[in-house]
Amino acid sequence: MVNFEINDKQYSAPDGTLIIQVADREHIAIPRFCYHPKLSIVASCRMCLVEVAKSPKPLPACATPVAEGMKIWTHSPCACDAQKSVMEFLLINHPLDCPICDQGGECELQDQALEYGKDVSRFTEGKRSVKDLDIGPLIKTDMTRCIHCTRCVRFGTEIAGMRELGATGRGEHMEIGTFLEQTVDSEVSGNVIDLCPVGALTSKPFHHKGRAWELQQVASIAPHDCVGSHVYVHTLRGEVMRVVPRQEDSINEVWISDRDRFSYSGLKSPDRLLKPLIKKNNEWVETDWDLALQFTIKSLQAILEKEGGRSVGALVSPSATLEECYLAQKWLRGMGISSIDHRLHRMDFSCDSGGPSPCPTFGLALTELENADTILLIGSHPRTEQPLINHRLAKAARKGAQIIMVNPIQYDFNFKVAAELTPSGGQLLHPLLGIMNALLSQKNERPHFAWLTPFLKNTVSTPEEKQVAEWLGRGNKKVAIFLGLQAQAHWHASALQLVAEALALFCQASLGYLTEGANSVGAWVSGVLPDQGPGGISLSEGKGLNAHSMVKTPLPAYVLFGGVEPEFDLANTVAARRALSESAFVVAFSPFRGGMCEQYAKVMLPIAAYTETEGTFINGEGRWQSFNAANPPPGEARPGWEVLRALTALCGGPGSLYSRSEEVRDELKHIVQNVPSVTLPSLEQRFRRIEPILSESKEGLRVVTEWPIYRVDSLVRRSKPLQDTAASPLFRARLNPKTASLYSIKGENKMRIRREGEFECILPVAVDKKIPENTVHIASALEGGGNMGQQGAVQVFLESNKDA
Amino acid sequence: MLNWLKQFLKSIAFWELLKGMRVTGRHFFVKKITIQYPEEETPKSPRFKGLHALRKYPNGEERCIACKLCEAVCPAVCITIDSDESSDGTRRTTRYDIDLFKCIYCGFCEEACPVDAIVLTSQDKYCFENQGENIMTKEKLLAIGDQFEQEIAKDREADRSYR
Repeated sequence: MVNFEINDKQYSAPDGTLIIQVADREHIAIPRFCYHPKLSIVASCRMCLVEVAKSPKPLPACATPVAEGMKIWTHSPCACDAQKSVMEFLLINHPLDCPICDQGGECELQDQALEYGKDVSRFTEGKRSVKDLDIGPLIKTDMTRCIHCTRCVRFGTEIAGMRELGATGRGEHMEIGTFLEQTVDSEVSGNVIDLCPVGALTSKPFHHKGRAWELQQVASIAPHDCVGSHVYVHTLRGEVMRVVPRQEDSINEVWISDRDRFSYSGLKSPDRLLKPLIKKNNEWVETDWDLALQFTIKSLQAILEKEGGRSVGALVSPSATLEECYLAQKWLRGMGISSIDHRLHRMDFSCDSGGPSPCPTFGLALTELENADTILLIGSHPRTEQPLINHRLAKAARKGAQIIMVNPIQYDFNFKVAAELTPSGGQLLHPLLGIMNALLSQKNERPHFAWLTPFLKNTVSTPEEKQVAEWLGRGNKKVAIFLGLQAQAHWHASALQLVAEALALFCQASLGYLTEGANSVGAWVSGVLPDQGPGGISLSEGKGLNAHSMVKTPLPAYVLFGGVEPEFDLANTVAARRALSESAFVVAFSPFRGGMCEQYAKVMLPIAAYTETEGTFINGEGRWQSFNAANPPPGEARPGWEVLRALTALCGGPGSLYSRSEEVRDELKHIVQNVPSVTLPSLEQRFRRIEPILSESKEGLRVVTEWPIYRVDSLVRRSKPLQDTAASPLFRARLNPKTASLYSIKGENKMRIRREGEFECILPVAVDKKIPENTVHIASALEGGGNMGQQGAVQVFLESNKDA
Repeated sequence: MLNWLKQFLKSIAFWELLKGMRVTGRHFFVKKITIQYPEEETPKSPRFKGLHALRKYPNGEERCIACKLCEAVCPAVCITIDSDESSDGTRRTTRYDIDLFKCIYCGFCEEACPVDAIVLTSQDKYCFENQGENIMTKEKLLAIGDQFEQEIAKDREADRSYR
């Protein structure tokens, strides 16, 4: 600790603290442009000059650590004069176009020029102008306004992990740019909009749309991944104008992903469902809520009476709010419908069948994640799936953590990966068994895990796997294991889960799940599962079908809740399309119409999208995060929980009428607090359920699919700026050059992919060295990708070019 | 006694009446200040705050750049603006409504405008016959600006040295 004076007042701070940090802590105003608490120090703007006793010149507060007995004046004539002069220099080349600048009203330069600048300009010479750049559909540039604080450049290097923006030239010729004419493609690029202290980098979708001072700010929670980033929704006259981050150091710090920032554009899609619609003679007829709800209940009851409780399948979006999830399962179970599920991407449920499934949390807090020593990610590409978890991983890597990836294909990571295991044919299980085998041999613990031996019969650990085992088994180290989206969507998901559990048990590691949607944990907690009720309690009777079985054999009726689009969201889209179009009755509760829904649904009920409803999301850490509605839903759309409340009342169910959504949440909270915690059967018992999987052959081609970053839910899919980004992939089968030559397929060819009795699909080929052998990598949830079936073994044929 | 006599003489001679008639008589011959509205009108200051208008540049380009300062400064909150990028990439209003029932004719909008787009003209004769006519839309305001541009420009020129 050192003692020093600021403005003749005594303060103390730990050694090495910067003057500006103490000033911020004590609410002493020091102007600044280049300094940002989350970025490195460059001291380039000189705006934070302060007077320090015994220093011949004023010193930058952002780069000067406090010292014992130091005397600092932030508003002395010397400091004020220095600040005024720096401001005058900054304004030499800054255009006076505040009235048309989007930053006007929230501009740091504007505010500080008012407070610290001179009121008259002495500069009459011509101003510099710089050509604007087109850096993609998300960020608008106006480089003449740039004051060269280099926050965006440092953000790229230090946070996004991609040096996309840089500074060229010196002095007046310094320019921020992309070197070559290219777009900025980072998944968190939008944060430079908030970082830029002037209007050089602004939001393109918000360009010229409104002013900071007229926007209403409502705190909310981001709805696209399990991180639960804190955001502010800014609305103008009931319309969402933009979404910006809300600081929460334990979750998203000050960042949000582009997906969370720009998905709001989808709210204004022409696809919005505005009135309840009923299909009559293949025509959509507008109706009122009463009729629509009664029709829905009567139709479902007729089918239930005729075909029994298992004849209706209910698919609930993993991004539906907790209240919606809880009321949905309450209403459905009250009607006698037991097949309820939210795990849409998943196709293998064998390890959970009959018994309870574990709650899909991270297993540790996000702040702990960055302090982990060894992190094993299985089937996960956090950069596209949970961009802010990726940021924590990057921080961990920088602190020296060993990060090990077991993935179906090679990805570009923006941090140092200690080992990347990409087995051929997407067979993620084999390297995991290899690691397990090596661990058991290393520690000589085979007797304790004797029941594992039959599973490891044919496993020989590679040197790489042995190395990973060494890192994992070091002891006294904090180890975190995560099962990513691709592990959960894998055809061996159960086996992967159990082996990961065994690994976690063996290494005393935490086991976490990086889940789909914003509220997978909430859906689990509220009992949107075929065999578990609220609080995760196992149902002794009335077990239903899981999401995969619901569509594998078509059911007479389906309930789709929360904007679920089975043709994109389910693991087996081909089966989903067939099942839905063959079914007699489909009711879709969705904010959107359009797409396949209009063909298969019989009733479409408009519910509010995420900014329009209050609710709660439980993030991967298990935090209950409630939020309020920011704007009213359009047309006759109503918040989902209100619609479900009305349905429950119409069914005469036991549900009392809730007047506020908080009552729903509190009722569930009460249940959760009073049920015994879930105890899973022993690992040994559950391993027996997956025995047959392990004897499957390693040979043959396998399709591996992946949900691209901007195709994960119905809202993102309708956000035009996100769809226009370079991250939107084409419908291509990506193959390793070796595999391609084995089947005599070249880059310009088309390929026919077939699985006997399931699907057949013809699509163009792209040869890519990052794909391991025997793997066909295809992005799912794309327009026109409807014929592509589920992941797993396939047959591949070269399509002759004349047909193509 | 004397007072009584005085009062009596005054009353029989209609003295009070004559006194009053003297004023009337004087004004009868003095120059009149009554204005015969609508044939005649009072002269107006170039600063008169009447009906609003949106101006254009001589080349026909609208002045307004949708900076929304007038909307922000308006104490009666009678201005509503929606802005967007126009086809030529400039910042323009897509809606510019003034509710004349709310407006208090303070002229702050004109003071705030960095490009002299919104002005209060010296027009003071207008009425509304139907509901909704009190909302001056962008089209109406631009039409008023076109119609009275010369007068508006003259008034601004006259007041220029005081600004």
